[in-house]
Amino acid sequence: MATSTTRWATPARRSGVTLQQEGVIAAAILGLTVVVSLANPDFFNTTNLLDIVVNTAYIAVAAAGMTMVIVSGNIDISVGSMLGVCATIAGELARNGAPVPLAFAVAVLAGSVMGAVNGILVAYARIPAIVVTLGMLSILRGGLILVTQGRWIESLPEAFFFSQRSTLGIPNPVWVMLIVVGLVWLFMKYHRWGRAIYAVGGNAEAARLAGINPQHVQFFVFVVNGVLVGLAAVLYASRFTAIQSNAGQGFELAVISGTVVGGVSILGGTGSVIGALLGSLLISQIGTAAIFLKVSPFWLQAVQGGLILLTVLIDVLRRRRFA
Amino acid sequence: MKLTSLNRSLALLVFASVVAAACAAPPPAAQQPAQQPAQQQEAAQQPAEQLPPGWKAGIPKNPPDRKGKKLVIRDVPKLIGIGYFAATTKGMEEAARELGNIDFKTDAPTEAKIEKQIEFIDNFITQGVDVILFAANDPVAIAPVLKKALDQGIIVVGYDADAQEDARQFFVNQATFEAIGQALIEDMVSQVGPDAEVAIVTSSLTAPNQNRWIEEMKKYAAAKYPNLKFVVTLPSEEDQQLAFKATQDIMKTYPNVKGVFGLSSVAFPGAADAVKQAGKCGQIAVVGLSTPNQMRPFVKEGCVKSVILWNPIDLGYAAVYAARAIADGELKPGATSLKAGRLGELKVNGSEILLGPPFIFNKDNIDNFDF
Repeated sequence: MATSTTRWATPARRSGVTLQQEGVIAAAILGLTVVVSLANPDFFNTTNLLDIVVNTAYIAVAAAGMTMVIVSGNIDISVGSMLGVCATIAGELARNGAPVPLAFAVAVLAGSVMGAVNGILVAYARIPAIVVTLGMLSILRGGLILVTQGRWIESLPEAFFFSQRSTLGIPNPVWVMLIVVGLVWLFMKYHRWGRAIYAVGGNAEAARLAGINPQHVQFFVFVVNGVLVGLAAVLYASRFTAIQSNAGQGFELAVISGTVVGGVSILGGTGSVIGALLGSLLISQIGTAAIFLKVSPFWLQAVQGGLILLTVLIDVLRRRRFA
Repeated sequence: MKLTSLNRSLALLVFASVVAAACAAPPPAAQQPAQQPAQQQEAAQQPAEQLPPGWKAGIPKNPPDRKGKKLVIRDVPKLIGIGYFAATTKGMEEAARELGNIDFKTDAPTEAKIEKQIEFIDNFITQGVDVILFAANDPVAIAPVLKKALDQGIIVVGYDADAQEDARQFFVNQATFEAIGQALIEDMVSQVGPDAEVAIVTSSLTAPNQNRWIEEMKKYAAAKYPNLKFVVTLPSEEDQQLAFKATQDIMKTYPNVKGVFGLSSVAFPGAADAVKQAGKCGQIAVVGLSTPNQMRPFVKEGCVKSVILWNPIDLGYAAVYAARAIADGELKPGATSLKAGRLGELKVNGSEILLGPPFIFNKDNIDNFDF
C-alpha cells in the first residue's frame, strides 16, 4: 500500500522504557510461579497455569481497550455494566434461536454503540470521562436489572459455549486474548492513529498543534473500547452454563487495576497493552497463589493488594533510578 | 424469585431473628419498673387477652368474633408476577380451598416497591377485610400501616419477609439457620459419607446469613460427624466467575476434597459449573442453597443431586392456616403449635411459626417450581 508509509510510523524511542516496565511484571510473574511451585508443586501444572490464563482472558481483552482509554488521558468505569449488557444480549438472542455467530456479533455491536455514546459525551460534549462513565455504569446496571428481573439466562444451545472449547489444544479464550492483545499492540505502536492516542494523552494541546484532532481520537478510543468489552462479554458469557443476571459487577476494578499494575500511567500518555495483559495475569495469579499457599481467606484481599503495591513500588523505584 | 429478593428476604430473616433475640433478652433490672406501667396500660387496652410475659408482637384491637365465620383474606406479597410469589399464592389458595368459607385474593404491586405495597394494604384496611397477609419490602417502612390494620381489629400475619415484630401478630418463618445447617450437612454426608474432606464457597466472608449457616453446619457436623473435615472457606462475593475460580482452586489445592458447599444462589451454580467443566461430576459432590431455576440445568444433568431451600407453596399454605387459627382463637399468644393441614403440627416459637425442615429440590420435583 502506498499510504502505509504515512499511516504506520516508526515507534518513538520511549517505548523502550515501557518494555522495561513490562519486564518487571513479567519477572514478578515468573518469580511468583517459582516460589509458589516450590512451596506447593501442584501449582506448577499445565492445567493450573492454563486455568489462570483462561480466567484472565476476558479481563485482558477488556484491559486492552482500557489501555487505549487510559493512555488517551481518560477512564471508563462503565465497562462492568457494559459487559453485563452485552453478555445478556448475546445470551438472550442465542436462547431465542438466533444463530450463535449472529448473537456474538450483535453483542460486540452493542458494545461499540455504548462505547460511542460514552465517546460522544466525553469527546464532543466535553464532559469528564469519569462523570460520563459513572452515569453510564448506573444507567446500564439499572436497565439490566429491569430487563432480567434477576433471572439468569439458561437453556443455551450447545454451540454457544465458545469459551469452553479449545482449538489446537489451546482454549478459545486464550486465542482471542492473544490475537486482540497482539493487534492492539501493533496498532498502538506502529499505526498513526495509535501513536496519536499517546500524543493526545501526553499533551492534547501539543497534539492539536501537530495536526491531530484530539476529539476524534478520544471518540475513536471509546468506540474501540466498547468493541473489546463486547468481545470480553462473549468470552465471559460462553464460559458458564448459565449467564448471571448481574454479570460484570466489579469487573471495572479488575480491568483498571490490571491495566495500571501493568504500567499504564493513570495520567495518560504512557503504557502498553502488553503491560496491561501482564498486570491482569499477575493479579489473577496472586489470587490463586494465595489459595495454594493456604493463606487464610481473610487475608486474601490484603495479600493481593500488598503484592500489587509492591510490584508498582519496584517499578517506581526502578524508573527513578534510571530517570 | 429474584436473586436480589432472595438475598433481601434472607437479610430480613436475619433481621427478624436479631429483633426476636433482642426482645427475648430480659430487660436489665433497673429498667423493669419503668416498663411496668406501659405494660399495664397495654394490658388495660386488651382486657380480653392474657399476654404471656415477653410477648412483643402486635394484637388486633377489639377484633370482632370471627370464630367459624367467613374470612376475607388479602395477601400482599412484595410484588406479583414472579414465580416465587406465584408459588406462595398457590399454597394459600390450596389452604383456602381446604378450609372453605374463605374469600381469598392476592393483590400487590408489580414491582417490589414499599410505597406501593403500603397503598395496597391501606386500601384493604379501608375495605374492612378480616386478614392481611404480607411479605414486607421493608421491615420498618411497612410497620405503621400494619399497626393501623391491627388498630382496626384486622388479623395481620407475615411470611417470607418479616416486619418489625410489634407490627404484626405472627410470622411464618420459612427456615431457621439451624435447620438449614443440618440439612446441608445431612445432604452432603448422604453423598460423600461421614469421613470426607469438604470445602465451602460462601458469598462474602462477612455475609451474616452465610456465617450463621456455616456456624450451624460446623456445630452440627462436630457433634454428629466428627470426621467430616472442613478444609477451607473461600469467598465468591456474589460473582459467578469468582465462585468458579475458587472451586477450581479448591479442587487443585485440596485434591482429597470430596464435596463442595455453595452457600448462595451465585456460589452454588458457580461451584457446580467448575466441577462440571473439570469433568468431576459424580466424583465431587456439590451441595448448597439456591433457587430451583438457578440450579435446574445442573440438576437435570445430574451434576447436582439436590438443592436445599424451602418450599414457597408450603409457606403460603401455612400462612392461611395460621390466619384461620387466629380467627378461631386457636392460635394466640403463648401457643406452642399450629395444626396446618397436610403439613401436620408446626412448632410455634414466641410469635414465629416455624415451617420446619428445609425443602429439597431434586430431579423429580424441580420442574414443579418456577422461581
